[in-house]
Amino acid sequence: MIQVRALTKRFGTTLAVDHLTFDVQPGVVTGFLGPNGAGKTTTLRMMLGLSRPASGTATIDGVSYHNLPAPMRQVGALLEAKAYHPGRRARDHLVTLAQAGRIPLRRVDEVLALVGLTEVARRRVGGFSLGMAQRLGIAAAMLGDPPVLLLDEPVNGLDPEGILWVRTFMQALAAQGRTILVSSHLMSEMALTATRVIVIGRGHLIADSTVEDLIKQSSGAVVRLRTPRADLVLPRLQAAGATIQSQTDGTITVTGLGVEAVGDVAFQAGVPVHELTPVEASLEEAFMELTRGSFEFQAQGLGAGSAAQ
Amino acid sequence: MTSTTITGTGNGPAARQADAPSFVNTLQSEWTKLRTLRSTPITLAIAAALVIGLSALITWAAYGSTPRHRTLTDQLDVLTAGWFAGLLTAMVLGVLVVTNEYSSGMVISTFLATPKRVRVLLAKVLAFSVLLLVIAELISFVTFFLSHAIASAFPRFYDPAIGDHNVLRGVIGIGLTAVLAGLMGVGLGALLRNAAAAIAVGVGISFVLPLVFLALPSSIQNPLLEYWPTQAGSQVREVARQAHSLTAWWGLGDFALFIVILLVAAGYALVKRDA
Repeated sequence: MIQVRALTKRFGTTLAVDHLTFDVQPGVVTGFLGPNGAGKTTTLRMMLGLSRPASGTATIDGVSYHNLPAPMRQVGALLEAKAYHPGRRARDHLVTLAQAGRIPLRRVDEVLALVGLTEVARRRVGGFSLGMAQRLGIAAAMLGDPPVLLLDEPVNGLDPEGILWVRTFMQALAAQGRTILVSSHLMSEMALTATRVIVIGRGHLIADSTVEDLIKQSSGAVVRLRTPRADLVLPRLQAAGATIQSQTDGTITVTGLGVEAVGDVAFQAGVPVHELTPVEASLEEAFMELTRGSFEFQAQGLGAGSAAQ
Repeated sequence: MTSTTITGTGNGPAARQADAPSFVNTLQSEWTKLRTLRSTPITLAIAAALVIGLSALITWAAYGSTPRHRTLTDQLDVLTAGWFAGLLTAMVLGVLVVTNEYSSGMVISTFLATPKRVRVLLAKVLAFSVLLLVIAELISFVTFFLSHAIASAFPRFYDPAIGDHNVLRGVIGIGLTAVLAGLMGVGLGALLRNAAAAIAVGVGISFVLPLVFLALPSSIQNPLLEYWPTQAGSQVREVARQAHSLTAWWGLGDFALFIVILLVAAGYALVKRDA
């Protein structure tokens, strides 16, 4: 199990990670979510002993990464896809790591086959595409056949086939009882891959729950109502305290009232109802809602930008 | 490629203390790193060509053109005149061996595999030193014997033989100073993490500052040059001891001490700074 306790990192006066505390459990894929600049990579780097925390601890089965007796056989990590020298052949790159980790060299050929790079094993890695680089990074992480895996944006740069492969791969690893923490800024990807999610924004913990609960929590009461007589039902819904967004085709999105209450209001108004649906928010929306205001770089609308000029 | 046949279970090779990687494993890894980059043999071949070629050329020019009434004072200096090019390439290679890791991102993989960073530095230093020692001594002896053969074509002048006083020491010493120059590159590379900056500082220490010191009054210049690491180190190739200079071995020791201090500082910086 991974335990992160009050982990804090400062860059100058900026607090990149602020007293972050969470656990990562074995047996499931845990997503590590946050917008760009939220501190995901910084947190992972501290967990892996590459950066020194200002305060706090990160341990794997109670031991910091630096003090693990055989780090590669205890934790596999993918941080940067291109964490290699471009002039070295793919197989040689893995051999240098296997030797450092005291891992038998036959394992090098196993992991090359595992990620599908056997045919390019003799090529110099400088010519690798981002997708091939990611695969090589995953091969390196799997060298020690570790029970714990930390992966930073592993699907970055992969084609749909590659994304599917990584997704299935991570789930299969988790099903074997391994601990998998995978960071991403793509909520949709995590909705498909992860069971649990840890959401951070500006270095703070925003949510630590299952994907299911996160969606349920934030979907609140949003109901879609379609009626040809929206004009009759709108005032009554507003009087009942709902927030309304209406569209020209007669579809009304009602926030703040349950599906039963909206149905009752429509019945009392005596209007025909063509559709009445509870809307489930996507993880994407849940995420946007959670991290609103915690984006490091918020894009301004085009209108706002030109108005400022 | 979409298949997910995963070999192992994650609890197969349990991380028992007995299986923990040791310094020997890190050393093997660092040796493989050196061996599997094309830049290593290319740089060493350039060093060999420069040192052997320049020495032969200068020997031929010096022995062929020196007027009869002059004598060549310290002929080993002449026979191995291309020596400085070897020091320079050794230092550049030392710098690159470290800064390559930072510029490529390899350093992340290195420190994930071996989080004990001082162990990585020591393994790198040892692997690189052994490689450099073998190659530098080889170049040094080839240089001497080639230049010696050229010089013997001009029998007017004294032409040192390998058995003459202090000549063997000088030839071996040239290889040793190249190893120390290479390690200076490693130390500066680890401290500065940037190839251009490290090479500039290295050239400054080895070649530029000693020239600047010549402008100082001799009361300052003499002791400064006497103990200046690269100057002191070069005494090992002087067959006859120069004025205001350390003896061959004390000089080499002075240079070596500087390298040790530099590497200790590099190790400290490596541990303290984020990778």
